[in-house]
Amino acid sequence: MPSILEASEITKSFPGVKALNGVSLALESGQVHALVGENGAGKSTLIAILAGVNQPDSGSLKLRGEQVSFASPVSARRSGIAAIYQELTIVPWISVGENIVLGNEPVKWKCGQIVSRDVADETARNALARLDAGDIDIHMQASRLSPGQKQLVEIARILALDARVIVMDEPTSSLPRREAERLLNIIVQLKESGKAILFVSHRLDEVAEIADTVTVLRGGRRVLTAPIGQLDRHKLIGAMIGHEISELYPPHVELQKTPLLRVDGLTRRDRFANISFELRRGEILGFYGLIGAGRTEVMRAVAGADPIDTGAISLDGRRLAPGSVAAMIASGIVYLPEDRKDQGLALHMSVQENIILSILGRLSSYGVIRSRRVSALTAELVKKVRVTGALDRAVVNLSGGNQQKVIVARGLASGADVLIFDEPTRGIDVGAKYEIYCLIQELAREGAGVILVSSELPEIINVADRAIVMSNGYIYGEFDRAEFDERAMLTAAFEGLRTGKDEVAVL
Amino acid sequence: MNNVRPTKAPVNEHNQQERAVAGPLGRLDLRQIGLPIVVIIMGLIFSFSSSNFMTASNLRNVGLQAAALACVSFGQTFVILTAGLDLSVGSTVALVSVASALGFTQYGWMAGVIFGFLAGFLVGLINGLVVTRMRVAPFIATLAMLSIASGAALNLSGGTPISGLPDSFTALAYATVLGVPAPVIVAVALLAVGYFVLQKSKFGRHIYAVGGNREAAHLCGISVARTEFMAYVVCALFTALGGFILTARVATGQPSLGESLALMSVAAVVLGGISLFGGRGNILGVAVGVVFVSVLANGLNLLGVSSYTQLMVIGVAMILAIAGDQYMSRDLRARGGA
Repeated sequence: MPSILEASEITKSFPGVKALNGVSLALESGQVHALVGENGAGKSTLIAILAGVNQPDSGSLKLRGEQVSFASPVSARRSGIAAIYQELTIVPWISVGENIVLGNEPVKWKCGQIVSRDVADETARNALARLDAGDIDIHMQASRLSPGQKQLVEIARILALDARVIVMDEPTSSLPRREAERLLNIIVQLKESGKAILFVSHRLDEVAEIADTVTVLRGGRRVLTAPIGQLDRHKLIGAMIGHEISELYPPHVELQKTPLLRVDGLTRRDRFANISFELRRGEILGFYGLIGAGRTEVMRAVAGADPIDTGAISLDGRRLAPGSVAAMIASGIVYLPEDRKDQGLALHMSVQENIILSILGRLSSYGVIRSRRVSALTAELVKKVRVTGALDRAVVNLSGGNQQKVIVARGLASGADVLIFDEPTRGIDVGAKYEIYCLIQELAREGAGVILVSSELPEIINVADRAIVMSNGYIYGEFDRAEFDERAMLTAAFEGLRTGKDEVAVL
Repeated sequence: MNNVRPTKAPVNEHNQQERAVAGPLGRLDLRQIGLPIVVIIMGLIFSFSSSNFMTASNLRNVGLQAAALACVSFGQTFVILTAGLDLSVGSTVALVSVASALGFTQYGWMAGVIFGFLAGFLVGLINGLVVTRMRVAPFIATLAMLSIASGAALNLSGGTPISGLPDSFTALAYATVLGVPAPVIVAVALLAVGYFVLQKSKFGRHIYAVGGNREAAHLCGISVARTEFMAYVVCALFTALGGFILTARVATGQPSLGESLALMSVAAVVLGGISLFGGRGNILGVAVGVVFVSVLANGLNLLGVSSYTQLMVIGVAMILAIAGDQYMSRDLRARGGA
């Protein structure tokens, strides 16, 4: 019996890069097929083609053995293929119910234009019920949903479509652990009801948990396809990178530390309260917490991007005036944003232009930028952070890992003493993650103080010297490396969310 | 294999509570109640300041002024909901006025109506194509059309008003049904149509989706281009209706008609709670916005304030409304952080 969806020899090029080179892949009903690979390996491109967002340059798609081609997402949907992307596709200002039937609205009356509210509501309710999420009010405005709930609504939308093939592009990457677990359970449920699922993820433990078959892409080619039973983590990573890598994290080094940054009683109404901590030179301080804990808000305040109500920030004993990013950068505190694309980079400017963005004044004479100074500085920085490729490429064309390195280079360009990394490895492949960890360690070694904000506990535990756990705007725990304990830290992360009932999750 | 049964959705109560308090519901209530209250207060102030305000004839006047603006604003609503903008509505009115006048005076009633709507349709068609096919930003595209339509109107009319319209047409502007002026009835009917389409039809819901999250709409199979295109056509047709009303009132085909309508319609739409970023707001709010602008203009007139000053007042009101909108949504957006 032919596979429900089969891609053969798919090739797709974009200006300057061949994203897919003769990739073949088959999806079977009732099976989860995982797609893994480094960023830039072609996973998102393949998904776009399967979902009808893009068309291949060559190669074919077969639905149950019959040749098909999708000119747009609509035709893919009509053939029973639905996709969930990393960025949530929720329309915030309409209701949950409307989001669920978006593009698929049931109609009444002959003209086919009037939406049948009753049928729509029932469809939405049924879909949510199947996901055990019947407590979500379908008439509520979708902007009020939590990220986990939004994800559920997206899946409800897929269920309402009654799709036969579901393609998911890193659906768990922006979900907290508990919601990610629930999503995985739902995927298994969907598979058992006969759907064919293509699941892209960087989280290999998730892949190990739910996949039946795994395909590895590297540099636009298919490198490996095998049933999960024949693979282990080692082999997978090896296939993704093309060479063996024995560890995910570089070995930890203890360094001499002198006090550098001191934050006292930082408070901003409705965001965070009473935040006090110290950062030493040569130290990597981890900030752990669940999404929404307030870590980004605190760091933005320290970096001068947001105002504070009360509190003090001192560097080397010197009190700093809050609220000005330029002043903080000049003092040596740099914040590297969590959202690379929207907050971190001028996407259409080149690597070089992005690196010097904060320090244009220093590189100019009488308001005119001196190109020789620029080239010298950027060459040095690029070598240090190991960004590959030409300096005049627009950063929008770089992989996630390289983009992150450009942001780091920019931070270094201003001669920062304190570097605040906010979720630096989100959406980045294993190899590039390793490089970023090495970079962080190197920065610490050279005397900088590094704050690492992360929602991945293993990352904090392996890389940080100390960890502070925030929950709901407060600090609930401070751990030295010797005291690092997953359970204790996780518990601290949930502390601020207790509602009086004993509802701390057991994971 | 791990636990396979889906776990019950844990209700993150705190989160929900936080969102409920800060949520848009509070904001909507304020908006929905706020402007009508302001209008009522304004009405009271004016009726105390001028004995002429609360008279039947004055109110009928307000209604007449408001009717044309209402038609145009309702059309503008469709476009702004898609996060677009139509700056050409003023010159569309002028073009419709001239075209219909030519039709009326040279070929009769039928021709007048057909030429007028045709002119409006063409403007909408071109606006829609330039924005969706040529990918020109709505601001620029409709600004250019403002110029084109205006020039066309001047060309067709030779620069002077066209008179000689049939009395049966111009009388419509002053006809009343049960004491309510005909143009007001037309505007209210248009409001009903607009409301029905936006709230109940697929096209209307797609407009909200495209404005609220363009990419999501696209990925869900909605034709963003077609939806946007239709919005501009609808806007132009609604505007054409407004053009007919104004033409009947001044009883001539005027190439300079409706000059301030672009600004006024956007003011009414924004004051009525439609976000310029698209995807949110109710056309009923726009009706209140129209009433606000019209009552304000009328009241200031009765108080002897010059129309130039009135323009300034409207501008200030717009800034306050948009700033208020920004303030309230900035607060909400910031709460979603990590």
